[in-house]
Amino acid sequence: MLAKSPAAGLDHLGVGLFTMQSTASAPANPRSLYRRYVEDVQILERHGLHSAWSAEHRGWYDGWCPAPLHVQAYAAAHTTKLRFGTAILLLPQHDPVAFARAAMTLDHVSKGRVEVGVGLGYRDAEFDAFGIRRDERGILMDRALKTIAAVWAGDHGDHQPFQQPAPRIWVGGMSDAAIRRAARHRHGLMLPQTVDTRQVRDAVERYRSLTTSDAPIGVLRDVWIESNPKNASRFLKRLHRHYQEEAGSWWVMGERTGFEVPYELERQLARVNELAAVGSPGLVSDRLNSLFDAGVDLVVARLNFDFVLQADLHDQIANLAEAVAPHLTPRRALPCA
Amino acid sequence: MRLMLEPTCADTDALVEAARTAWAAGLDGVMITSTPALSAPLVAAAYVAGLVPDLLMAVELPLGDRHPIEVLEEAVVVDLAIAGRLVLVTRPVIGAAHMYPEALDLVRTALSPAPFRFDGSYWRVPARLAQNIRGTTEARVTPSPARARLEVWSAGPGFAAGVSRGLGHLADADDDPAELAREWTQHRMRIGPALTGAPRARRALWTDAEQLIVSLRSGRASFGQDWAVVAAPTTAAAEIGMRVRPRLQLNELPAGLEAHWDLYASWHPSPRTADQSQREEQASHVGLKDTLLHPATGEFAHQPTEDEVRAEVCEDSR
Repeated sequence: MLAKSPAAGLDHLGVGLFTMQSTASAPANPRSLYRRYVEDVQILERHGLHSAWSAEHRGWYDGWCPAPLHVQAYAAAHTTKLRFGTAILLLPQHDPVAFARAAMTLDHVSKGRVEVGVGLGYRDAEFDAFGIRRDERGILMDRALKTIAAVWAGDHGDHQPFQQPAPRIWVGGMSDAAIRRAARHRHGLMLPQTVDTRQVRDAVERYRSLTTSDAPIGVLRDVWIESNPKNASRFLKRLHRHYQEEAGSWWVMGERTGFEVPYELERQLARVNELAAVGSPGLVSDRLNSLFDAGVDLVVARLNFDFVLQADLHDQIANLAEAVAPHLTPRRALPCA
Repeated sequence: MRLMLEPTCADTDALVEAARTAWAAGLDGVMITSTPALSAPLVAAAYVAGLVPDLLMAVELPLGDRHPIEVLEEAVVVDLAIAGRLVLVTRPVIGAAHMYPEALDLVRTALSPAPFRFDGSYWRVPARLAQNIRGTTEARVTPSPARARLEVWSAGPGFAAGVSRGLGHLADADDDPAELAREWTQHRMRIGPALTGAPRARRALWTDAEQLIVSLRSGRASFGQDWAVVAAPTTAAAEIGMRVRPRLQLNELPAGLEAHWDLYASWHPSPRTADQSQREEQASHVGLKDTLLHPATGEFAHQPTEDEVRAEVCEDSR
C-alpha cells in the first residue's frame, strides 16, 4: 500500500494517556501536572495529531485524575482543533445524567471536539467508595448508555449536543461482552493495549459481524520511538516498573491481586512489554500498520507515563508526527460522529 | 466588598465575553450556574477560566442528588486546573433538603487530605459492600485542591447548615436583610469567633448603579454583607466595576471624591479590555496634566496662581 500524506496518518493517531499521576518513583507537584497537560495538548495540536486521551481512576495515593472531562474543558480553551478523548471513563461509577451533561457541556464549549470513551472499571475500592456493587457494573453501564442517549435527545430539558446527532461513544474493553455492547448500541470500540494483532483482528471481525454500524474501532498501544537499543531497553525497564506497580496493586488474577502472585504478575508484565511498540520509527510504523491492517481506524499511542519527562514527551510527539505518521496506512477515513 | 458578575447569557461565546468584560471591569469573579445549553456548570467554568485569567470562578451546584464524592472530585479537579480560583457554592436539592447537611459533612470530611470512614444516614463511605471483596475499610479523595483549602459556601435554604459549619453563605436576592441579620447574629452568638471572616454574600438583580449601591450599602449595614453576586447583562459590568465597586470599599469617602468619580466615568464609559491594558502598559504613562483637562473643552483647566494656592492651603490655619 502506498504511504499516504503525513496528514492522513495524523488523522488516525491519538496520543495518551494523561492521568495526572504523581507516583512514588516519579513524583510531581499536582498543580504542575495540570499546567503541563495544557502545554502538552498545545504541542499535540501544533503537530496536527488527532486527539489527546485521558484516563480515569480515583482515590489512589498517586492522585490519578478522577474527572478527566473537567480538566479537558480547561485544555479545550487553549486549543481549537485538537480533539479530546477518554480511554476510559468509568461510566458505571457515575450518575448517568450528570455524566451526560458533563460530556455534552464539554462538547459545546469545545465546539464538538469530544470523543467519549467509556468502560466498566475494575477496582473494587472505587465502586465501594460510591456504594455500588462491582458485579452490577454491566447493568449499570447499559442503563447509563440509555440515559445518556435520552439526555442528549433533550428528554431532561437540556439542549442538544454540539455534535449531531451525538458525540461519539467508544466502548472500552476486549471481552465479547464489550464488543457486543458496542455493536448493540452502534458505538465505537476501544481496545486496550493488552491485545495483540490477532486478537485485534478477531475483535474487529466479531464487531463487524454483529452490526452494520460503521462506527470506528480504536486501540491503545504503548509506544516509544527510540532507535538506540540501549535507550529502548531502558525505556522498557521503566515501562515494566510502571505496570508492575499498577498491576501489582490492582490487577486481579484469579482470586488474588498482582503482588500476591508474583509469577503470574511477571507473566502479564512480560506480555505488556512485548506488545509495546518500542524502537525505531520504522519499527513503530510497522507495528502500528499491522494494527491498521487488522481493521483498526484509530491508534491511541500511549507515549505518556508518570516517569516520562515533559521534554521527552514533546520529542516523542514530534517524532510520532514527523517520522511515523507519514508511513502509516490506515484503511479508511475516520467516520464522522 | 467583593463583587462577582452572574452572567445572564447562556451560550459559550457570550459567557466568555461576559467573563472577559468582568475581568476588564475589575470585578473579583463570575458565577456560573447550569443552563439548558451548558448543563454542567463546573465544566463550563473550567473552560471559561481557561480563556479568562485571574477571576474567581464561583459555581453553584445542588448537593444531595448525586453522590457528594462525585461532586467533590469534579470540583477539586477544576480547582487544580484553574489554579485555586474555584468557589464551590452548594445548594440543597429541592425535595431532598434533608440530605444537604450530611452531604456537606461528607464533602468537608473528604476534603481533608487523609483516609476517612464516613458513616451517615444517607451515605456510607466506603460502603464496605460484601460483594466488593477487594474493597478497603478506608476511603480517600485525591487529588487535593490547589490551595490549602477549597472554598465551599452554602446557598439559599442551606443557610443554617452552612453557617453552623463556619462556611460562607450566598443568600438569595429576595432574602430579607433584617432576617439575615438576625440569623447571622444568632449563629455568631452560638459559634463565636469561628464565624469571623466567613463570607456573607447575597445575590442581587441588576437594575442600575444607584439601586445596587443602595442595596449593597444597606446589606452591609444590616447583616454585614461583604460579597455580592450581581445577575446582570454584560453591558452592566463596566458600571458595576467603575461606579458601584469603588463606592463599596470604604464607608467614609473624602468630600468631592464621588463627584470626581462620576466625572471620570463619563469620560471613559467602557473599561479597558485586556488587550488595551497590555498595550497601555507599554505606552507612556498618563501625565499629570491630563488630569487637569477640562472634560468639555479638552483644554487645560484653570492653573491656580501661587497666591490662590497659598490662600487655599492657609485657610484653615488663619
